[in-house]
Amino acid sequence: MGRDAHARAILGDELCSQLANTRVLLVGAGGIGCELLKTLLLTGFGHITLLDLDTIDLSNLNRQFLFRKKDVKQSKALVAAEAAGPFNPACKIEPIHADIFEPRFDLAWFSGFDIVLNALDNLGARLHVNKMCISANIPLVESGTAGYMGQVQPIVKDRSECFACMPKETPKTFPVCTIRSTPSTPIHCIVWAKSYLFGKLFGESEDDEAEFAEALKNGENPNEIAELRVEAAAFTKIRSSLNSPKAPALVFDKIYNADIKRLLGMEDMWKSRTQPVPLEYTAIRSGTFVIPERKKPGTQKAMNVVVNGHSNGKKAVNGSGTADSAGGLKDRKALSLEDNVELFASSVQRLAKRQAATSQPLSFDKDDDDALDFVTATANLRAICYGIQTKTRWEVKEMAGNIIPAIATTNAMISGLIVLQALHLLKKSYDRMRSVYVRTKPTAPLGVSTMAPPNPYCAVCRDVYVPFPCNPEIAVLGDVLRAIGIAKAEDEDDDNDEEMNGAEEGKVMREAYVYEGNRLLFEPEMGENAKKTLAYMGVTWGKSLTIMDYDGKVVNLVLVLLPLPPDHGADAKPFVMPSTLPTLPARPPPSAPSAPPTPAKPTLKRSAPEDDELIDDTRAIKRIRTEGGAVKAPAEKETTIREENGVLILDDDEEDNVIELD
Amino acid sequence: MARSHVDEAALYDRQIRLWGFDAQTRMRNATVLVLRLRGTACEVIKNIVLAGIGTLKILDDAEVTELDLGAGFFYREEDVGKKRVDAAIPRISALNPLVNIVSLSSPLDLSDDSLHALFLNIDLVCATDYDRPTLEKLDEACRKQGKQFYAGGTLGSYGYAFCDLGEHSYVSQDKTKPNAPQIRKTFKYASLSTALKASWSHLSKRDTKELNPEVVFSILAVWEYSARHGVMPNSYDTVHELQAIANELLGAAQVNKLVLKAMPEKHVELLATTAPYEISPVCAVLGGFLAQDMLKAIGGREAPMANLFTFDGMGGGGTVCRLGMKGAV
Ligand SMILES: [Zn+2]
Repeated sequence: MGRDAHARAILGDELCSQLANTRVLLVGAGGIGCELLKTLLLTGFGHITLLDLDTIDLSNLNRQFLFRKKDVKQSKALVAAEAAGPFNPACKIEPIHADIFEPRFDLAWFSGFDIVLNALDNLGARLHVNKMCISANIPLVESGTAGYMGQVQPIVKDRSECFACMPKETPKTFPVCTIRSTPSTPIHCIVWAKSYLFGKLFGESEDDEAEFAEALKNGENPNEIAELRVEAAAFTKIRSSLNSPKAPALVFDKIYNADIKRLLGMEDMWKSRTQPVPLEYTAIRSGTFVIPERKKPGTQKAMNVVVNGHSNGKKAVNGSGTADSAGGLKDRKALSLEDNVELFASSVQRLAKRQAATSQPLSFDKDDDDALDFVTATANLRAICYGIQTKTRWEVKEMAGNIIPAIATTNAMISGLIVLQALHLLKKSYDRMRSVYVRTKPTAPLGVSTMAPPNPYCAVCRDVYVPFPCNPEIAVLGDVLRAIGIAKAEDEDDDNDEEMNGAEEGKVMREAYVYEGNRLLFEPEMGENAKKTLAYMGVTWGKSLTIMDYDGKVVNLVLVLLPLPPDHGADAKPFVMPSTLPTLPARPPPSAPSAPPTPAKPTLKRSAPEDDELIDDTRAIKRIRTEGGAVKAPAEKETTIREENGVLILDDDEEDNVIELD
Repeated sequence: MARSHVDEAALYDRQIRLWGFDAQTRMRNATVLVLRLRGTACEVIKNIVLAGIGTLKILDDAEVTELDLGAGFFYREEDVGKKRVDAAIPRISALNPLVNIVSLSSPLDLSDDSLHALFLNIDLVCATDYDRPTLEKLDEACRKQGKQFYAGGTLGSYGYAFCDLGEHSYVSQDKTKPNAPQIRKTFKYASLSTALKASWSHLSKRDTKELNPEVVFSILAVWEYSARHGVMPNSYDTVHELQAIANELLGAAQVNKLVLKAMPEKHVELLATTAPYEISPVCAVLGGFLAQDMLKAIGGREAPMANLFTFDGMGGGGTVCRLGMKGAV
C-alpha cells in the first residue's frame, strides 16, 4: 500500500490517475498559497506551476508555514516549492518568481493548464486571472480570506458566474476638501498624512491641478480649492530647506499653524463645524502650550475634546491602544501631544536625511519605520488640531497600510475547500460545484450556495474570445476589421475605398467600435486608425482587440493576439483568421441599470500578490478588507447578505442564530 | 522592553490584529495535549503551533507507515518504521521555535489514574481519530479535572468535531459596528454522552433541515457501528447495517420526519467504503476548524462552537448542532 492508498480508496483509481497527469497553475504562494500547495501535493496532483511575485516578510510567518525566519526577503514561490517538495516527491513543481501580468503569461500559456487556482490578495490580479481563464476556457477556482472569513468560488465559462460577473467593491475616495480642510475622523487625518503630506515633503513633487480640476467638476467649493492652491505652492519653498536643522519647526509652523489659521479665516467653512485650533511648536516643546478652547458651531452640540493639552506629558491622548495589556509596547502606547511633536521632529529629520543621501523621492511604505513614525505623528497632530481621536502607531500602521488580519486556520480550511471543488471540476461533475463560505454563523460555519448563471451583461465572460495569431508590426487594423466583417469608417478617404469596404464576397458588413483595453481605437465616425499597424497603436502579443457592436445587438468579439505559427510564410497575410468565426450570441437589451460598462476593464495595478495588502490607490483609501479583494454575493434565497470588512457574508436575520437540542 | 516581546509582536502581528493581545497572551500561557498523530492532528498541530501556544504535548505510540504519507505532511518516506512522534517533532518545532514541544510515545492508557496523571498541567485536550467509547471516556476524565475537551477526525470525505468546555466564558465584539462594546458571555457545555442522547423533537422543520441531519446521523451511525463491532465499516457489505443503525438513531432522536423519514443510501454508502481512510483536503478543513475553535476557547475570545460540527467534503458544507446544552447561564 503506497502513500496514495487512502486517496485511491476515497477518490477512486480513475480520478487519482487523472490527478497525476493534471497540470495545475497556482497563482499566489502566500497565506492561501502555502496551504494549498501542501494540500495539492498530498492529494496527488502531479504537475504544479506556482507563481508569485512577492518576497517573504516576518509578519507572514504566523500562517505561511512553509517559510522560516531565515527565508525572510526570499522569493515566496521558490522557497515554498523547495519546502513543500518533500511532501510528495512524485509531484513536479515549477516555481516562477514573476508578475502574472507579464505578457509572456498569455492565452497560449494559460491554455497549457487543466485548471487554475487563485490564491491572490489583490483585486486587479484576481480579475486578470479570471479574464485569462475565461478567454482560454480553463476552469478556475477563486478564493479569498479575511480574518475568520473566507470564500471559494468555482468558475467554469458559461456554466457559472465568473469573478467579474458581480461588480466588485472599489477603493473609496474622499472629497479633496475633507482630506485637506475639514477632516472629521482619524482616517481622514491618516490619508492626509500618508497620501498628501508625505508626498509633498519627500515624494515625487506632483501637480495638484488635475485633482483640483476634478474636485471643481464634482462641485466642491471653489473658494476652498483656491486656498488649497496657495497652500500647495508653499510646499515648494519648504522642500528646499528640509535639511536645515530648522526644518521640523518650519514644516510644523506651516501645516499646524499658518495653514490652520488661514483655514479659520474662511468663516463660511466653520458655520456648522467645530473650528480647528492652531498649534505652536516652540510653546509645546518648552512646555507652555495649552490647547485653546474650541469654538463650537452654534447649531451643533458641544464636541468632546479628547485631547488634553497640558504639557506635563503624562496625560496621554486617546488612542485605543491601552484597551488591553499590550499598552506597554512602544507601538501600542497612546501618544501625548508632546510625544507626537517629538516623533514628528525626529521623523522629519530622518526622512530628510535619507532623501538628501539618495536624492530619490520617497514613497510611503507601512514597513518603513521612519515613514510610519512620520505618518503617525503628523496624522495625530492634525487630529489634535481638529479635536479628533488620535491613534497609536500600531493602529495607524493598520489603517495606513491596509493591513488585513490573517490566520493560518482560515487559509487551511479554504485550501481544503478549493481542492474539493477542483476535484468536482476535474471530474466534470458540474452539478456538484458549490461556492463555499467560511463564516461565523453558529449553526452553519461552512455555508454553500449553488452556482449562479453568468450575468448576461458581464463584460468578461459573455464576450467571445478568438485566438488571433498575427504580426502586429505589419498587420493593419483596417485589414483585420475587413476580415472579420466590420465596415470601414465613412470619412476615410482611402483610394482603395471599394476594396476596403469589403463589399466583395457579398459579405454583410456591420459597424463596430474597437477597443484595446479601455482605449477606443476605432469607431465608424473616426476611421484614421484603420490605416495604422496594430503595433503602432500599442496592440501587441498578449493584448487583445475588443470588437463592440455599434448597435449593441451582439456580444463583443475579442481577438487575443498571439505570435504566428513558425511555419507561417513570410509573404502570407500578417495574420491568421479562423476559417469560420464563431457566431456571436445576441446581447440582451440593456434594461438592467446595473449593467457593467463595456468593455469594463478596471484600472489594474500591477502589484505583487501579497496577502496583507490590497490595491492601494494613493488617494483613495477605503480599503477592500480581504486577503483578496471584494467577495461577491452568493445567490442564496433564504439568507440575507451583510458586509463585514468588505466581505459579503451570508447571514440569517436572527440576531444570535443558534439551534438548541436537549 | 525585552527584545523577544517586540519580535513576538511582529511575528504575530496579523493575528493579534484579529483577536487582540490578551487572547494571544492566554495562548502563549496554554498547554495543549494532542492525542494521536494522523492527518487531522498534523493540521491541528501546524495551526496551533503557528498561532503560538505555550506548550504542545503529543501522545502517539504508532510507527510511521507509508499510508501516513498521504495526509501526514510531517512525515517523509525515510521516516517509515520510526515512531510517529519521533519523525514529526523536529518538523513541528521548526514551525515555531517559540513553542515548547513534548512527545510521549506510550500507548494511551484509559485507566482513571493514568488519565489523571496525563492531564495534569494540561489546559486543553484534543483527541483525534478515536472511536466513540474512547472519546466518552476521555471527555469524562477531562470534565473531572476541569480541562477543555475537543475531539475531531475525518471519515473519508466526511469529518466531525466535538467540544466540551464545561462552563466557558468568552468576550466577543461586533466588528461590523464602530466602537461596539465587548460583551462577555458564559455557556455551559454538555458531556459527549449527554450530547448524544439529545432529542431533536422540538426543532422546527426549517431548523432541522438546516443542520443537515442526513450527514450528522450518517456519521453518528459510523460511530455506533464501530462501537458495536470494534472496527470501522470497510465494505459495501456494511451499507445495510449502517443504514439500519442510522434509522434507529434518527428514531431515538425524534428527528422531524417531514425532513428526514429514513436515511437514504447516499452518505452511508460512501461512508461504508471510505470511513477508515483520510485525504488531505478534508483533514485541512477539519484541522483548520478544530484549531480555530481551540484557539477561541483558549484565548477566551469569540464564541467557540457548541458543540458538534459535521462536514461533508463532497457537498462542501459544514453545520454545528447544539446537543444537550441549555444555552447561556
Ligand atoms: Zn462574468
